[in-house]
Amino acid sequence: MFGTFCRKGAAHDPDSGLEVEIPDGARVKDLLARLGIPESAGAVAAVEGVIVRLEEPLRDGACVHVLQSVYGG
Amino acid sequence: MKFLKVDMSKRSVQFQEVPKAYVGLGGRGLTSVIINAEVPPKCDPLGPENKLIIAPGLLSGTPLVNTSRVSLGAKSPLTGTIKESNAGGTMAAALGHLGITAIVVNGQAPKGDLSILRINEKGEASLVSAQAYKGMRTYALAKKLLETYGDKTAILCIGPAGELQLAAASVQTTDIDGRPCRAAGRGGLGAVMGAKGLKAIVVDQRGKSADAIADSKAFSEAAKAFAQAIKAHPFSGQMLPALGTAGLIAPVNSMGAFPSYNATKGVLEGWEKVSGEAMAKIITERGGKTTHMGCAQCVVHCSNEYVDKQGKYLTASLEYETIWSMGGMTGITDLDAIAKLDYLCDDIGLDTMSTGVAVAVAMDAGKAKFGDAEAAIRMVEDVARGTDFGKVLGNGPASVGKHLKHYRVPVVKGQSIAAYDPRGMQGNGVTYATCPMGADHTAGNVIGEYLGGALDPLKADGQVAASRNTQIAMAAVDCTGLCLLASFALTTPEGGQAFLAAMNAKFGTNFGPDSIPEMGIKVLRAEREFNRKAGFTNKDDRLPEFFYKEPLPPHNKVFLVSDAELDSTFDF
Repeated sequence: MFGTFCRKGAAHDPDSGLEVEIPDGARVKDLLARLGIPESAGAVAAVEGVIVRLEEPLRDGACVHVLQSVYGG
Repeated sequence: MKFLKVDMSKRSVQFQEVPKAYVGLGGRGLTSVIINAEVPPKCDPLGPENKLIIAPGLLSGTPLVNTSRVSLGAKSPLTGTIKESNAGGTMAAALGHLGITAIVVNGQAPKGDLSILRINEKGEASLVSAQAYKGMRTYALAKKLLETYGDKTAILCIGPAGELQLAAASVQTTDIDGRPCRAAGRGGLGAVMGAKGLKAIVVDQRGKSADAIADSKAFSEAAKAFAQAIKAHPFSGQMLPALGTAGLIAPVNSMGAFPSYNATKGVLEGWEKVSGEAMAKIITERGGKTTHMGCAQCVVHCSNEYVDKQGKYLTASLEYETIWSMGGMTGITDLDAIAKLDYLCDDIGLDTMSTGVAVAVAMDAGKAKFGDAEAAIRMVEDVARGTDFGKVLGNGPASVGKHLKHYRVPVVKGQSIAAYDPRGMQGNGVTYATCPMGADHTAGNVIGEYLGGALDPLKADGQVAASRNTQIAMAAVDCTGLCLLASFALTTPEGGQAFLAAMNAKFGTNFGPDSIPEMGIKVLRAEREFNRKAGFTNKDDRLPEFFYKEPLPPHNKVFLVSDAELDSTFDF
């Protein structure tokens, strides 16, 4: 988890990430809900370098970067 | 509403009413329209015919938050095109408080002559000798000037790079704390200021002759609503105060679009060590400031104070683009070294982006190994020392590529790209190619479209339209003095309405939603017209060849947008 999300949850280690178990067929939005991140937070997920939609199903063992939406710097 | 005309040849200063043709313009709109109308397009950028224009935004100096951007414009010695570069800090508000719409600097001082333009609390202007400050770096200079003119002084200044008239020289400006750590970095405008013989502009911040607000009650209400919209936006209200712009390092590396090792890879090995999250942790542990107010009237507080292991100040503010240019492009993953390089650039008066990319090109050509921080620091110090290679480096990446006969030089019209690879974010490539001022991310950054899922960053489809729309929007924002980072609140209904209401209350106008893009289009037309007269054609609106031929890992894509599509970007 990155951005201000990395400060959420005592179990999250920013360096190594967090292992999360979710049911088979779970989607990105299910993962975000499991992490306690509301839709209003504007979270974005990247899997293997590609931004994925909230409806995207996740495969077993996927490494997901949970990011905050950014607009420029 | 007045212009301060400064003639460096005659050593004269004179106030005049704003000419009718320029009424209603501010910031980039004003600098670009004046340059297009008054600067001979084929003139020597470092000669007397060029003009350096310093213009606060339309709303600078009002109580509206985050309107402290000051635009600097001239014909650029780096690109040969028209150029606007804007900076935060305290100068825009100081000029606004005095009702100064623009400072127009013309002519050229006799060789070796160096001056300071001083504007006091009453708005009286004078040129005073700066011979005692010759060759001085910006931190020492700012300290001296604040001692001389008082701590309520806003400063614009150049360092040794500007005096040497190097094409990557910046104009530095002071932050709230009087440190010259804010920069109008791009386009070599520091060299233009140096060529004029102007070392600094010092302006008293306590002026009380601001232009009137047409409807102060409506303005006050709109200003309150706009501040709330900025604070309510997740980007400007949460992310930026926590991590600053360095919060972009994780998303852009996660997308494989972070140009690394001189744009040969899209992910920096060990990027986690230089991320915004890592930086915030280091700063907190050492007792620095992760959240800091850098600019007048700011409610975002994206700035930071990076300190060393003993808690001693190293630099402010360590930003995304600098961490990229001095870290990603060079392969340096030591934040302390990157902070040192940032400080050096501010102190010498160099654009951190052009300089970092110039170092990366030198490394790629074999002058040093990627990741060698000591070599990078030596190269940047060489600029201030005025060595032969220092002069090559201080003239930017294209100069280094030519000197070392190296082909992989990521520039457009001579100016380096920014921290988004055009092969991993195709729309940003369109902006780099077509922006009238050379490769420039602030002119039209499309990253929000990708993260929002509106556009696939790796395909050509839709990229031209996305770039066009953001370039128009940013050209308009740059007229107002509004900070880019706060401007994303304009995309919310509350923020957009409040900002329009503030504009109308300030000027007694009836701007509607279409008025903002119209303003942007007017600016872009003026800029492109100047470039055409200077000899630029569509063929100059292209990326370097290697972006079309060398696939970028991890997605292994090249730049896919065709020339015909690029040429349709400004079809208005």
